[in-house]
Amino acid sequence: MTREERLLAAVIDAVDTLVDDFDLIDFLHMLCDRCLELLDVSAVGVMIEDPGGRLQLIAASDEHTRLLELFALQHDEGPCVECHRSGAARLNIDLTSPVQTSPFPVFAGRARKAGFVVSHALPMRLREAVIGALNLFDARPQNLSPADARVAQALADVATIAILQHRTLAHANQQRAQMHAALTSRILIEQAKGVLAERWNTGVDDAFDALRRHARSHQLGLTQLCRQLIEGQLDSEAIARP
Amino acid sequence: MVPKGDLAAVLASLLPAPGSGGLVGADALRCARALGVDGVAVSVTVGSGLNELLWSTPGVSTQLEDLQFTLGEGPGPEVAASGTAVSVPDLVREPVDRWPVLLPEALALGIRAVFCLPLLAGSACLGTMTLQRARPGPLEEMPLADAWIVTHALTAALVQDAGQWAAFAAAEDGSDFYRAAVHQATGMISVQAGVSLAEALIRLRAHAFRHGRPLNEVAEDVVARRVHFRHDDGDGRAPLAGGGTEGP
Repeated sequence: MTREERLLAAVIDAVDTLVDDFDLIDFLHMLCDRCLELLDVSAVGVMIEDPGGRLQLIAASDEHTRLLELFALQHDEGPCVECHRSGAARLNIDLTSPVQTSPFPVFAGRARKAGFVVSHALPMRLREAVIGALNLFDARPQNLSPADARVAQALADVATIAILQHRTLAHANQQRAQMHAALTSRILIEQAKGVLAERWNTGVDDAFDALRRHARSHQLGLTQLCRQLIEGQLDSEAIARP
Repeated sequence: MVPKGDLAAVLASLLPAPGSGGLVGADALRCARALGVDGVAVSVTVGSGLNELLWSTPGVSTQLEDLQFTLGEGPGPEVAASGTAVSVPDLVREPVDRWPVLLPEALALGIRAVFCLPLLAGSACLGTMTLQRARPGPLEEMPLADAWIVTHALTAALVQDAGQWAAFAAAEDGSDFYRAAVHQATGMISVQAGVSLAEALIRLRAHAFRHGRPLNEVAEDVVARRVHFRHDDGDGRAPLAGGGTEGP
C-alpha cells in the first residue's frame, strides 16, 4: 500500500466513529452553513468514503428530504462519485443540460425536481489521497468565478483537515517530519553562512556563494555540507574563498 | 462573481502566487479584520523550541511572535507543545506566573486578549495561529469558527505542496525566511565567543531582551558587525549573561 492508500484506509475505517464525534459533526455543519454564505449557493453537503467504498453524507447545510436523497443517490452516480474517483473538481455542471448530465441522468432529474439547476463537486484531498467530496447546489443559474472556485476548494480542504484531525495518523507525523526537516535544513544553512562569514570576515552573501559553489563542485548536498562545517568535520580552509 | 465577504477573500488568496517565494499568499491584515481582531500571526514549529514566523500583520502581532521566540514562553510555545488551543480573553486577569516575563511585555505592547490555535494535521501540530486584540473579551462563536476554518485551510496549504518546502530547505533565491538573520548571527556569535550554536542563540536572545530590542534587529546588527560577542575580557561575567558589545 502506498502512503496515500494507507491514509485512505485509516480514514475509511474511521467513518463509523466520525459520525459519533459531535465536535466534528458540529464543525462540519457550521462549515456547510459558512459555504452557503461565502459562495452564495443554495445547498451544501460533505461526503466521505465509507468502508464499502461508497460515498456517505456526513454533514449538510439542511436536512430536507429532497436534498438528503440527492446525496444518497450518489452512492451510485453523480458529480461527487466522478470527483471522488478522479480527484478533480467538477464545477458549474448545468443540471438542465442533457449532454453535461449524461453520466448521471437519474441524479440530474432528481436534482432538477428539487429545484436545483447548477451543481459543483470539489475533491476532499490530502496530496494524492481523496477521502471524499464537497457538493454544492444552486437553485439559480449562476457559475462559480475562478476566485469562488478557490474559496470552494479551500473549504473542501478545511473539511479534509477537520476530519483528519480526529485521527492519529502516522502519515501526518511524516508530513510534520518533512516540514521540520525543511526548516532544520534551512536553519543549518543560515548558521553555516554566519560561521563562515565570521571566520573569513566577509559578508553572509559571499559565504553563501562559497558554500553553494563548494557543494556543487564536490557533489555534496548543501545541507550536508553546512552540517559538516558546523560540526567541525570540515575545515573552512577546505572551501574556496570568493 | 467576486467572493462574498472578507473571509472568502482570505480563503481565495491563501495559496501564494507561484514563484512568489512566500508560503502563504493572503493579506494578513485582511484576515485579522475578517476575524474581528487587531492582528494575526502564523508560526510553524521546528522542534527544540525553535519556530519560524511564516505570516503576520506588521506591528504588534509580529512583535508578540518575536517576544515569544526570544523568551521561549507564551501562548504560542504552549499551544505548539500541547496541540490544544489557548484562549486568554483578558491578559490583566491572567495569573502572572503563567508567563511571568511575557505577560507584562505583552501588556506593554497594548495587547489585552490573545487567542492561539494549533495547526493540526492529524495528531501532529505543525504550528500556531495567534490572534491578538487591544480590547479584552472572548472571541465570539462566529469569529472563533472562522478562525478554525482559517487554521485548517492554512494547514492544508502547508501540507499539500512538498515542492515549496524543498525550495525552502535549499534556501533557493526568493524563498523568504523571516529569522534568517537570527540563525546567521547565531553562527557568527558561536565563532566569536567560541561557544556552541545553542549557547550562541541563548546569548543573542539574552542580549535582545536585556536591551529591550527586537531579536531580528539585534541579529541584523551582528550580521552587519555593529554588535559583536567576542571573547570576554576576563571580567568574570557568567557565560549566559556575557557578550553583546556595541560597536566594532
